Amino acid sequence: MASKIMASTVRRTLPHIRPLSTAAGISIKGVKISGRPLYLDMQATSPVDPRVLDAMLPYFISQYGNPHSRTHLYGWESDQAVEAARAQVASLIHASPKEIIFTSGATESNNISVKGVMRFYNENKKHVITTQTEHKCVLDSCRHLQQQGFDVTYLPVKPDGLIDLNELRNSIRSDTGLVSVMAVNNEIGVIQPMEEIGRICMEFGVPFHTDAAQALGKIRVDVNKWNVSLMSLSGHKVYGPKGVGALYMRRRPRIRVEPQMNGGGQERGVRSGTVATPLVVGMGAACEIAMKEMEYDAKRVVKLKDRLLNGIRTRLDGVMVNGSMERRYAGNLNLSFAYVEGESLLMGLKEVAVSTGSACTSASLEPSYVLRALGVDDDMAHTSVRFGIGRFTTEEEVDKVVELTVNQVKKLREMSPLYEMVKEGIDYKSVQWAQH
Amino acid sequence: MLAPKSLQLGAQAIKGLSRVSHFSKFVAPATIPCVQDGELYSTTATSSADGGNEEKEKISVTFVDKDGEETQIKVPIGMSMLEAAHQNDIELEGACEGSLACSTCHVIVMDVEHYNKLEEPTDEENDMLDLAFGLTETSRLGCQVIAKPELDGLRLALPAATRNFAVDGFKPKPH
Repeated sequence: MASKIMASTVRRTLPHIRPLSTAAGISIKGVKISGRPLYLDMQATSPVDPRVLDAMLPYFISQYGNPHSRTHLYGWESDQAVEAARAQVASLIHASPKEIIFTSGATESNNISVKGVMRFYNENKKHVITTQTEHKCVLDSCRHLQQQGFDVTYLPVKPDGLIDLNELRNSIRSDTGLVSVMAVNNEIGVIQPMEEIGRICMEFGVPFHTDAAQALGKIRVDVNKWNVSLMSLSGHKVYGPKGVGALYMRRRPRIRVEPQMNGGGQERGVRSGTVATPLVVGMGAACEIAMKEMEYDAKRVVKLKDRLLNGIRTRLDGVMVNGSMERRYAGNLNLSFAYVEGESLLMGLKEVAVSTGSACTSASLEPSYVLRALGVDDDMAHTSVRFGIGRFTTEEEVDKVVELTVNQVKKLREMSPLYEMVKEGIDYKSVQWAQH
Repeated sequence: MLAPKSLQLGAQAIKGLSRVSHFSKFVAPATIPCVQDGELYSTTATSSADGGNEEKEKISVTFVDKDGEETQIKVPIGMSMLEAAHQNDIELEGACEGSLACSTCHVIVMDVEHYNKLEEPTDEENDMLDLAFGLTETSRLGCQVIAKPELDGLRLALPAATRNFAVDGFKPKPH
């Protein structure tokens, strides 16, 4: 009897999952790779900084109280940790800790900002202005509002990805309740003219919301210089944990929202629900590290970006950078390789983790709507690849990526009939294709 | 900024006075009559008898509850809406008794003009208002709205519930 129990216990504790990697490489979803790919997709997510993990662990195992428990030490120490993290996040954006609300991520913060603001002020304000290159969660929230009878203006962007300030000025109406423009675009990395937009919004008295998920910890974010009323922040883009984000809500003049999560009134009634202490502590630690290391990281990222871009450009022609080169975050390099399809390039670059367009649109087969908004031709829109460089990217990785990319592009171009035609001098745009 | 502050101080003084008179059963001074539960009739008889004097010292305020029922009362100048409501048995909860620590005396000012005549809410009041149930653009805390002559004819709507909500309809009595 005892031996039977022992045998079953042993069987249960042995791993039943086939190991992912073997001596011959990794096999997953039918694909064989020689090893773990080089990670150059920092806009999708970033690895957690080991220092952030160190800060988080005690709150999982020993200091695990609910921060809203008011009657014992476990609650008090959790609450203290949450408030300390709140101050860390606030100081990175030059706000007061009282203006920070913790949420489950930038998507939730965007939802609260767009839908919450418009529903609160819906008696007089029926109009929202946003851009065509916003993140999906903002665009979907706006579409949802349209279903409910609100008017939304989607501002087009210039070919360099920036909005036209005069168009913004002319779109503002007397019943405009919100202007939402993201600070740094997640697909092409361009930085919108935040101070000028803030000035226009202040002039017309319209609340200004920005999705600063990609901007936090990478460029200088100042809620007063930008005159924002609401700002969405994300934890996992600044080397913090996934599943946490924050929403900045201005106190003077006070902006109010209709809460999207109802409950016991936590987080000033805006976001009910137990605040996840370890995640919030992680985000706070990540923000503190970012404050100290932002300048150094920025210099390093610019050097790596130059290394990547020059490395590719010296060996390939027909390489276009999507989006403005001047107003850009260096860690986001979105390149289009002429006559090469982006998805097939990715399939060939199995040892490099990059993406075409954003992670949340990668499921759809359509080319990225951001590139379409840039006015990029259909054929070029399919060719884009986004390289993301971050704090932990090394020079060897960049060199290897250059080598792999150049080889793959050359190989694909050999196979490309369009490239052949161009080399022979035929203008393929004037060709009458036999089929559709 | 100073003038309204002195008005507030005056209001506090008068409030203190009325509370003392309530507890020790002194004869209330003529300037602060206790309004009984005759909501519609209150002290109109005496006010008309005294002529202009009484009219200046009380304003007419209408409370509209969530079912649309209206109750008109007379509120002496300097008294907060919360206290006036309690004295007239209007269902306005005031859990913290006017110390800016809760959102249960939340009222909605129905006319934007009257709302604009009120002073700007302080940060503390705004913080508590953020937690109020059924917040609107013209919401205020009843304990911070002090009666003054310009607010005559003020209409205040009572929200459907407060943060201390009890779905079984239980209503806590004012303490």
